[in-house]
Amino acid sequence: MIPMHEVPGSALPGPAAINTSALSKRYGKVTALSTCTISIPEGRISALIGPNGAGKTTLLRLLAGLARPTAGQVTVNGTTPRQDPAFLADIGYLAQEIPLYRRLSAEDHIHAGAHLNPRWDAESVRERLTGLKIPLGRAVGKLSGGQRAQVALALILAKRPRLLLLDEPVAALDPLARRNFLRVLADGVAVGGLTVVLSSHLVADLERVCDHLIMLASSRVQLCGDIEELLAEHQILTGPRKDTTAIERSHRVVQVTRTPRQTTLLVRLNGPVIDPAFEASDVSLEELVLGYMGQDAAPAMAHLTTIGEEK
Amino acid sequence: MTWLVWRQHRVQFYLGAALLAALAVLLVITGVQMASQYHSALVACAANHSCANLSSTLFLGSHAVGFLVIMTLGAPILVGLFWGAPLVAAEAEAGTTQFAWMQSVTRKRWLAVKIGWMLLAAAIWGGVISALVTWWSGPNNAEQLNAFQPGRFDLMGTVPVAYSLFALALGIAAGTLLRRVLPAMAVTLAGFIAVRVAVTLWLRPHYLSAVTVFYKVTSGFTPPGPYWRLTSGIVGPNGLAIDQNTNANVVGGIPASYLPASCTAQSRGAFTPPASCTQALAHFRGFLTYQPAARYWTFQGIETGIFLVLAAALIGVTALALLRHDA
Repeated sequence: MIPMHEVPGSALPGPAAINTSALSKRYGKVTALSTCTISIPEGRISALIGPNGAGKTTLLRLLAGLARPTAGQVTVNGTTPRQDPAFLADIGYLAQEIPLYRRLSAEDHIHAGAHLNPRWDAESVRERLTGLKIPLGRAVGKLSGGQRAQVALALILAKRPRLLLLDEPVAALDPLARRNFLRVLADGVAVGGLTVVLSSHLVADLERVCDHLIMLASSRVQLCGDIEELLAEHQILTGPRKDTTAIERSHRVVQVTRTPRQTTLLVRLNGPVIDPAFEASDVSLEELVLGYMGQDAAPAMAHLTTIGEEK
Repeated sequence: MTWLVWRQHRVQFYLGAALLAALAVLLVITGVQMASQYHSALVACAANHSCANLSSTLFLGSHAVGFLVIMTLGAPILVGLFWGAPLVAAEAEAGTTQFAWMQSVTRKRWLAVKIGWMLLAAAIWGGVISALVTWWSGPNNAEQLNAFQPGRFDLMGTVPVAYSLFALALGIAAGTLLRRVLPAMAVTLAGFIAVRVAVTLWLRPHYLSAVTVFYKVTSGFTPPGPYWRLTSGIVGPNGLAIDQNTNANVVGGIPASYLPASCTAQSRGAFTPPASCTQALAHFRGFLTYQPAARYWTFQGIETGIFLVLAAALIGVTALALLRHDA
């Protein structure tokens, strides 16, 4: 009998859909991704978050097998990404640019997909696009950006992949379409057999559907794990004291914001906070994300606060 | 994959087929006219025993169609520019490789099917044009004996097929390496012209060592069939080639200054050289360095082989560049 407190609230991690170890990618002298070690269990919707240029696209392309690692290992669906129809059939990757043949219609793309994939659910694409009133016969180059994104997303789902890698898929969609699409993803995952990695800047959207988070900044992984667990591990401490060395000694301070009267800290907890001068509060996903993004900008912010104090 | 290749490139294929059809109609109509014109000229000259002069008196076809036929020298480059260069580059520019390569098709198969159909189309393009031009030029070749000359050799037989395949492969390789359509087209155009000129000027004359014939200037010499003249001239009594580039009076290709007065005195009107002149002329020999007619198909084969090997090498480069590098 295992004591209850030893089992975390979330289910035990199942087999991993994605495992990387010390994965790095350099383009010439530019390091796009550095020593990235992550693991995403099957059946999760993982949010890939990070500032522009953090390496999100590079990571997705490495997972899809479109780019080759400079160093490190990747395992996707149990194998190294490779040029093999069976591997490719299980991956759905949608690039940020929404690549479609501009002169071909949605119907042409449906035909092409049927010729190029072992599993292909043409009816689901027609149904979805007809429901969205997107003309199947018109060249996709003549559709609006949002409609093109809908066509591409419907096509990627028709492949019935085990792993969906989506690079800012909802950026072009209106809020309602965004919500509908994310619900489709959530339903797909709930039915089983689907894992999703989704990059986006829209934290509110991600919060609604994602249960896993990968945070990249400056080509490195800052955070990777179950969102609930990550939120539980972090707290915001607010207090009058300017001296934070005691807290820094026992916890990892992610971000410090100082005003003349109080200091706010985002900390990754390492046990309970015992300093009574600080008031602890729960952290939201947005605060967590902005806190880690703000790490890079910290020196500039400190400079600004100094100017404020001198006034 | 085949369905996608057809759907993506059918407009190019239709355009190519339309151009071929237009050329075929034009050449078949004028070719039939020329053949019958030539046939009746042969019958007429046989009747009055003047067939030896036929080549200097008969003009077959029209200048416009003749010009068009010469223009088919450029037909292979169209394949390189409009089928080859955009094949990979246009997809790389539009990002659609990321669509195709994320279906359940390996890059190797994607490339093989695309290139395979394009090669077939290019071979048909070059083959049909060559067949039309070769057939159309039949009477002129028989009359002018010029099938082996540069500018004619390149239009007929099997070489246009090899040029088309080479141009296509060059376009595909340039597009794959540069990943931009316009620069790839520029490289294809420059590369194709450079290779064709280099092969024509510096390689083709040496496929087989040329035949050199020395002959008496008084009797002259013409090889049988459509030979290709490389050099010709006259060697003087001292064994050195004489300079024929002179404005002085010339007798039988020899400047008058080399000859006794008896040759020039009677050079106008009906020329029956006196003994002294004939004796002097006997010390001169004409020479002709040429590739004989019998080698025509050997040369076609060698040149076809060279361009096929170049095309294969370029496709190899394309495959390496595409399969080794990131998408």
